[in-house]
Amino acid sequence: MGRNPYHPKPTDEDSSSASETDTLLAGVGYTVRSSDLHHVADRLEKLDSTIIAAAASGVPPEFLCSSAIHYNPSDLASWIDSLLTEVPPHSSPSLWTDATCLPPPSSFSIDAHRLGKEEDAGIRLVHLLMTCADSIQRDDLVLARSLIDEMRLLLPLIGVGYGIGKVSIFFLDALDRRISFLPQPTKTVLEDEILYSHFYEACPNLKFAHFTANQAILEAFNGCDRVHVIDLSLMHGLQWPALIQALALRPGGPPALRLTGIGPKTAKVGLRLAEFARSVGVPFTFQAVAAGRLDSVRVKPGEAVAINSVLQLHLLLSETGPIDSVLTLIRELRPKILTVVEQDADHNKPAFLDRFTEALFYYSTLFDSLAAGGGDGGCSAAAEVYLQREICNIVCCEGSERVERHEPMGRWRVRLGRAGFEPMHLGSNAFRQASMLLKLFSSEGYGVEEVEGCLSLSWHGRSLISASAWRARADSAVALVARHRYIIL
Amino acid sequence: MGEEEKHNVEQEKPCGYNINDNADLLAEILARLDGRSLCAAACVCRLWGAVSRKDAVWEALCNRHVSSSATDSSFPGTRTVVAALGGYRRLYRRCVGPIFDRLASSGDHGPQSSAVAAAAAARLSLSLFSIDCYERLSVGGRQRPSSLLFLGSAVDVT
Repeated sequence: MGRNPYHPKPTDEDSSSASETDTLLAGVGYTVRSSDLHHVADRLEKLDSTIIAAAASGVPPEFLCSSAIHYNPSDLASWIDSLLTEVPPHSSPSLWTDATCLPPPSSFSIDAHRLGKEEDAGIRLVHLLMTCADSIQRDDLVLARSLIDEMRLLLPLIGVGYGIGKVSIFFLDALDRRISFLPQPTKTVLEDEILYSHFYEACPNLKFAHFTANQAILEAFNGCDRVHVIDLSLMHGLQWPALIQALALRPGGPPALRLTGIGPKTAKVGLRLAEFARSVGVPFTFQAVAAGRLDSVRVKPGEAVAINSVLQLHLLLSETGPIDSVLTLIRELRPKILTVVEQDADHNKPAFLDRFTEALFYYSTLFDSLAAGGGDGGCSAAAEVYLQREICNIVCCEGSERVERHEPMGRWRVRLGRAGFEPMHLGSNAFRQASMLLKLFSSEGYGVEEVEGCLSLSWHGRSLISASAWRARADSAVALVARHRYIIL
Repeated sequence: MGEEEKHNVEQEKPCGYNINDNADLLAEILARLDGRSLCAAACVCRLWGAVSRKDAVWEALCNRHVSSSATDSSFPGTRTVVAALGGYRRLYRRCVGPIFDRLASSGDHGPQSSAVAAAAAARLSLSLFSIDCYERLSVGGRQRPSSLLFLGSAVDVT
């Protein structure tokens, strides 16, 4: 591919051969005089370097942006010249000057060659990442360190602004952290909130989660006068305005709504939600509960309870984790519906290499979807940091520190079934709403799939996040009576 | 001279009928326009601008997207809720307009294909609008509402 398939014809005093058009290029549609070949080759390389320099500095060269028409591109020589005359002199790269001797005219294949090299570098990088993860799994940290150094050398060869390059940097950094035994950076609640809200804006994943869960909750609350929603992680409460509005417009009038928000600093959010509910005429009360204190939630008799978990349950899955007791607690609250939204990926495998590989491909897909979304730069950058934290946790941490233990929907189904829940099918309304929501996003790779009553958001067929609804199985009521866990207020 | 002028002016008095004399009728007519035409109409003169800003005009426009008849939408009390959330004009500008445009251009299951799809799109618009309204409520001053940025820049009706 790097070979020059022809040799320039020597310039001849004979004018007929000098003005002869090159036959090979003519075959692909370009008219170039043989005597011009050196000149054209030089100009093409200059153009190439200018574009690369401009791309590296992040500013698109103006001649690419203008809508000027360049005359007759098949006349390659004058076309290149007219393009280059529009290049301002100061932006000419210092790599090539007219004074340097002309390179051999192999430049026609230089673009394809560079692309090939970049692809090769990308593939090599992925291969090195896997090898490094494998060596970490085998406790060969010396090899891991040398692989990391090698990968850092490889990075400049691939574009790191997009695609595999971008994701690889995050994984490379995470591996580096792991073998350097660096402590995890401290997280603040404010940072968490900011990153979460940028992630909310940058892609439809969280909106899909909220809208689908809300639709299920709305349908479950049909005909109930007093309803109670318990949100396992309130954050900004962005899920609830839509539900409050839908309840306000319910035929027959709104029910009295109680919202219990679990998490740090929920009081302010509760205030905003209360004001919102008041303005649309929904009777509303709010209760703030500290993070992790689901056991202090009380339900009143006669109210329909919905428990909402968006990306929360997987945090409880460590070996000593409280997942079973939490699910028992949830069941004892006797919810009419439990909505569960989780990442659809297997990042909880015991073997490090398996986990690493799964995560690499899952987050590549996720980053692809983020990149295609377009979004303004600030949003996607913060969203990437949000995801980077997840990556870091999956790769660097072990034991109770590793909280991002995503599991695929199938395994959640088994787990929830064992805990005494049965699935409720999300109806066609939820499906239609989700499809419509995704159509509003500018990129066309998103899709909604329905599997056994659960809806999942996918990017080019790869499922990213799944939403499902559950209710307590009737036969588990017997165990509840024996416990007397809830207090009649 | 003055009397001649007066006479001329009296002679010019129509025969014709000036729509600007009857703002209610003007509102009825403008209520039948689509979003872009309504924005253009708002630029004609101050009266037209004032009439085009009436929420009732935008309410008719929004309801037309949902059903073919211009009668009240199926949910009683929608008007109060929408007014509390920011009004029909804002609803159209921020949500209904961009959403219906984008859904219509993206395929044949868009809101123009059936009443069910149109109603679903209307509900989606209201939901997104309520999120936008909630973001604008700031207790202690927070960032600008941004949940609707993904819809792209809306047609400016100001």
